Amino acid sequence: MSGQTGTELRASDAALIQKIVQRDESALAALYDRYASLLSSLLNRILRDTQAAEEILQDVFYQLWLNAAQFDPARGSLPGWLAVIARNRAISRLRRHNPSDGEELLETTVIVPVNLENAITQQQLLGRVKGALDNLSTEQRAAIELAYFEGLTHTEIASRTGDPLGTVKTRIRTAVESLKRTLLS
Amino acid sequence: MNGHPTRPEDFDLYALGVLEGEEKAAIESHVPTCAECAKKLAEARGRIALLAFTAPRVEPSAAVRERLMRQIHSSAEIAGAKHAQREPERAAGFFGRWWAAVLVPACILLLFVAARLRTENERLGRELAQERATMQQQQKQLDEARHAQALLESKDTVSVALAQQPGMPKGDVRVMYNSKMGMAMCDGWVEPAPANKSYQLWMVPMEGKPVSAGVLDGGPINPWMVHLPQGMAAKAFAVTLEPTGGMPQPTGPMVLVGPIT
Repeated sequence: MSGQTGTELRASDAALIQKIVQRDESALAALYDRYASLLSSLLNRILRDTQAAEEILQDVFYQLWLNAAQFDPARGSLPGWLAVIARNRAISRLRRHNPSDGEELLETTVIVPVNLENAITQQQLLGRVKGALDNLSTEQRAAIELAYFEGLTHTEIASRTGDPLGTVKTRIRTAVESLKRTLLS
Repeated sequence: MNGHPTRPEDFDLYALGVLEGEEKAAIESHVPTCAECAKKLAEARGRIALLAFTAPRVEPSAAVRERLMRQIHSSAEIAGAKHAQREPERAAGFFGRWWAAVLVPACILLLFVAARLRTENERLGRELAQERATMQQQQKQLDEARHAQALLESKDTVSVALAQQPGMPKGDVRVMYNSKMGMAMCDGWVEPAPANKSYQLWMVPMEGKPVSAGVLDGGPINPWMVHLPQGMAAKAFAVTLEPTGGMPQPTGPMVLVGPIT
């Protein structure tokens, strides 16, 4: 079991971010090695296109290189932030639109309540998240996956599944409540 | 409306991206003005971001890392060149401007040539990165083949047959193990794992806790090299049923066991 705490994680990511600000290329390589696999998996799941996924993966880390000074590790989780940015870019590409400035503005801080630095913690977290999804009904899980991996809204999910809009809204709200309870327990 | 969202799940729904129209606009207009709600939204984003972990594992190719490092290296060089260019500009007076009339066309020509060279350089760089990635992959395969050959030829290598346990999924797995080399090779088959479960292979030492030797999804196992701690005396190998992705220590039932005699 990892002996590292969330504080150590932030310090470690923070130290690498600080080195990137000072133009240390090896620090970016270290963060890439730490989180590229997670982002690659997410991007391939959304886009189902290896080449497009790799383009966005490269671009996300290049943006981190260019804008590292604007990221404050004390205010949030770097892997969480990278996952949010990668997902947004992939969904935008899927839907062929650019995210609005408002969306980018609101997405600067992402707080993840666990240490994501090492592989064992990631594996344990994977088990918890999968367990939380397994507790959902088939319809709830499908709706959550349509929203997260395909970027569909309430109306679009209703249209896709043929269910009434109210049913879809209730289904997703109760699913989100359930996920939140399980992940916080 | 510009008040706090009435239900706490609204932040998660916004982070998930399902809200539209007024519901979405209400969050976007309120959050920038409210630190408390901004924190709740950041936490919701963190929870929703965890769904990324459920995506099937896909490793990026080595070429992506190569391209990224080349890209940031180029940007650093360009930034350095711009900085160096500003110094003479500050010193330029009357003569500087006169010479500029001569030098500008020459610079434009040079820039054109440089752009052509850079494009060509980038193309060659991409090809080189691809070649390097292929070579690394081939080198890795060659190393694995050498390890496998050394393992099979060593007189210290033992063969361990893992037997199916009563009531457990069927399987026939064999492990060739060499404690001095710290290596094992595994092959055979095991029936597909139940939903949300994985098989996990363990080396059980004479003393201490079991050591994970990898995760199996079920089906035929291609001969597969495992690197284990060197010099550790083992008494058995075992396969257990664990949550998808495996665990740091065994938690599930033993499916196959093979003692080292």
